[in-house]
Amino acid sequence: MYVAVKGGEQAIARSLEHLAEARRGDTAVPELTLKQIREQLRLGVARVMQEGSLYDEELASLAIRQAAGDMLEAIFLLRAYRTTLPRFGYTLPLDTSAMRVRRRVSGTFKDIPGGQVLGPTYDYTQRLLDFGATPPAAAVLADAPLASPMPRVLDLLDAEALIERIEPGSDPEPVDLTREPLMFPADRATRLQNLARGDEGFLLGMAYSTQRGYAESHPFAGEIRMGEVDVVVCPEELGFAIEIGSITLTECQMINQFHGGNGLPPQFTRGYGLCMGEGERKAMSMALVDRALRCDELAEPNYAPAQNQEFVLSHSDSVEASGFVQHLKLPHYVDFQAELSLLRTLAAQHAADSDEPLLSAVGGQQS
Amino acid sequence: MLAAFAHPVFDSQRSFRELLQAMARPAMPRALPVLPPAPAPIAPAAMAILLTLCDATTTVWLQQPEGEAVRHLQFHTGLKRVDKPQDADFALITDPVSMPPLDAFARGDLRYPDRSASLIMQVSAFRADGQTRFAGPGIRTSETLAIDGLPGDFWQQRTAQAPQLPLGIDVYFVAGQQVVGLPRTTRLLEG
Amino acid sequence: MTYNFAFLDEDTKRMLRRSLLKAVAIPGYQVPFGSREMPLPYGWGTGGIQVTAALLGPDDVLKVIDQGADDTTNAVNIRRFFARVAGVATTERTVDATLIQTRHRIPETSLREDQILVFQVPEPEPLRTLEPREAETRTLHALADYGLMHVKLYEDIAQYGHIATSYDYPVRVDGRFLTSPSPIPKFDNPKLHQSPALMLFGAGREKRLYAIPPYTEVESLAFDDHPFEIQQWEHQCELCGSGESYLDEVIVDDRGTRMFVCSDTDFCGQRRAEAQA
Repeated sequence: MYVAVKGGEQAIARSLEHLAEARRGDTAVPELTLKQIREQLRLGVARVMQEGSLYDEELASLAIRQAAGDMLEAIFLLRAYRTTLPRFGYTLPLDTSAMRVRRRVSGTFKDIPGGQVLGPTYDYTQRLLDFGATPPAAAVLADAPLASPMPRVLDLLDAEALIERIEPGSDPEPVDLTREPLMFPADRATRLQNLARGDEGFLLGMAYSTQRGYAESHPFAGEIRMGEVDVVVCPEELGFAIEIGSITLTECQMINQFHGGNGLPPQFTRGYGLCMGEGERKAMSMALVDRALRCDELAEPNYAPAQNQEFVLSHSDSVEASGFVQHLKLPHYVDFQAELSLLRTLAAQHAADSDEPLLSAVGGQQS
Repeated sequence: MLAAFAHPVFDSQRSFRELLQAMARPAMPRALPVLPPAPAPIAPAAMAILLTLCDATTTVWLQQPEGEAVRHLQFHTGLKRVDKPQDADFALITDPVSMPPLDAFARGDLRYPDRSASLIMQVSAFRADGQTRFAGPGIRTSETLAIDGLPGDFWQQRTAQAPQLPLGIDVYFVAGQQVVGLPRTTRLLEG
Repeated sequence: MTYNFAFLDEDTKRMLRRSLLKAVAIPGYQVPFGSREMPLPYGWGTGGIQVTAALLGPDDVLKVIDQGADDTTNAVNIRRFFARVAGVATTERTVDATLIQTRHRIPETSLREDQILVFQVPEPEPLRTLEPREAETRTLHALADYGLMHVKLYEDIAQYGHIATSYDYPVRVDGRFLTSPSPIPKFDNPKLHQSPALMLFGAGREKRLYAIPPYTEVESLAFDDHPFEIQQWEHQCELCGSGESYLDEVIVDDRGTRMFVCSDTDFCGQRRAEAQA
């Protein structure tokens, strides 16, 4: 008797047991503590927080452990948890100009007020595997305290009126994409929100395509800064602002060439990227894609994938993409049966029309 | 301050299921399962609908915004009151005879016909012995129902909106414990 | 920590409920809604799950099917989810259920007025494969301009002599909106027309809800000289002998021998139980 679909309940239970065993691995090896993950895999933790849209290093570490290091699964776990959290209120806009900077580089000027600060970066490691045990890190002594707040490079250009000016407070109140569906056309605040939680790999590929002629925008890395920013709320019942903590952010401001158009004079334009934690690759990719998506506003020809907002924004989310790609492993045999029956009809018709004998491999109608 | 639903999660769920069936089967009176306390001029059945569907993300226009009723609604739902009927997701009509014309409420736009008002109208009674018959989605052949306490030209106004479908206004009539749904697609049959 | 009844918070349920009521009021129209991230993957029924969560109460009896079967793994998983977060009674019997969540089938047993059918929908936009831009398809719906679809079906006929769509076969609801019936085989399309039960559709990833109210005109697109036809088999179910149900084709040995059985496992099981009684 054919019973392949029976026993789903037991099959799932067994699969969960196998999964738990595989996740834990050799029990003679101690289990990772959340503290170890948080301290020693901090960039992974940052990515899970960014794309999980939830700044909580402890929960992100838990998600990574539970997902056995599968970052997309960990992001999904964090998102599904985030859905259930009540909203107590909204913070004031974060002020990245007041960031306590730990890293800050600019590709546009040799030297800048406040200086170039490399900070903790893999940029100048030589990518040689370190076969020895990791030596205990010596505490790094700062040469001198960094200027705080550190002026932004783009503000220096702004003083010369060579870069587009975006007035503070000129943005409309943003929609919350985790509460409202994405609608098209989407304004810039909505697009940035989508990109901020977008998949790093997808954004990286999109950004790369703009550098290879698909929406060339002549970018310069105006400034990349990373450090801590205070989070401030202003509860209605208190009537004054209070600081509730600080978070690590990475911000990228790209400067892009623009020869003028749509009533705007020739000037530099901006592409913006921001993400939670240390995530320079992500912030830079986001800034390039943000700039490409501004093509209509700047009356640039709109032809490349990275400029197509429906294409970019509808496909940037790893949780959506991963779910839908992988749903193909669910049973589809009802529809497949419908297609089989249609194909047999069409094949029989084709054979009758062309007077050719039916290939049994194609039309093998069984009885 | 009066109380709201005694069991918010389950009272809202049971009320919603009746509202859903009311909207899916127009012109058929259904009994709301829970009647919460309601300050005048809000009828308990209307209050059940507002508690079930409204919160800080919905805009509501009140025909008679009396102090106690407003405080009660804002405390229990946090709804956003609006002054213009045009801006309302929901409108509470507590005195239908003096209500604004139907054209005063949002009918949605062709790309988003769901961005339209839902009216909650407190009427005096439903009678099955009337002459008014209805047809449309949700109605097998036709339904006969008389609704007492409406403005004299209510049905003319509604019929005048019909050519704008799928734009339109959806109505929940309440009387006593009963609710009757009348979505925009329900047609009043002649004669 | 504990989750709210049926997982979703009450604000989210209210948002879903308001959207569902508008969906019923505008038959076949896709209402955008603030779809939430669920603890099951997008594409695996998150839209249907959210609709079910907004409907579900302690008195409900829930049935979940995938491909017509209660025991397929994803159906089991969704049923397990609701048993866990809402503690509701579940059943495999169509006649005992108050709510039925389904993927890809409509049960063979006729539904009643006191039942609600919830469909999981991967792509709510029937025009999407013909026009990928949402801004554009929304305009086409606004204008009731469905020429694209008619041309596609006509080209099928010109090329193959048949309409080459066997599932997710587009319908026109109440003479107005072109609507996706979800990927049910076209065999099930006639069950949408004048159904006694309310039918609700949820697309979680695409963030759209829509409805077909009971007793509503649902027309599968066709041409006068090419009327709509459903699938037929030369076989009967080898388990229950039914000649009217949708059949799955099963390969039973490595010589490719086929066997045909009902896709609706409850329908098949009930028929066999009756035959034995």
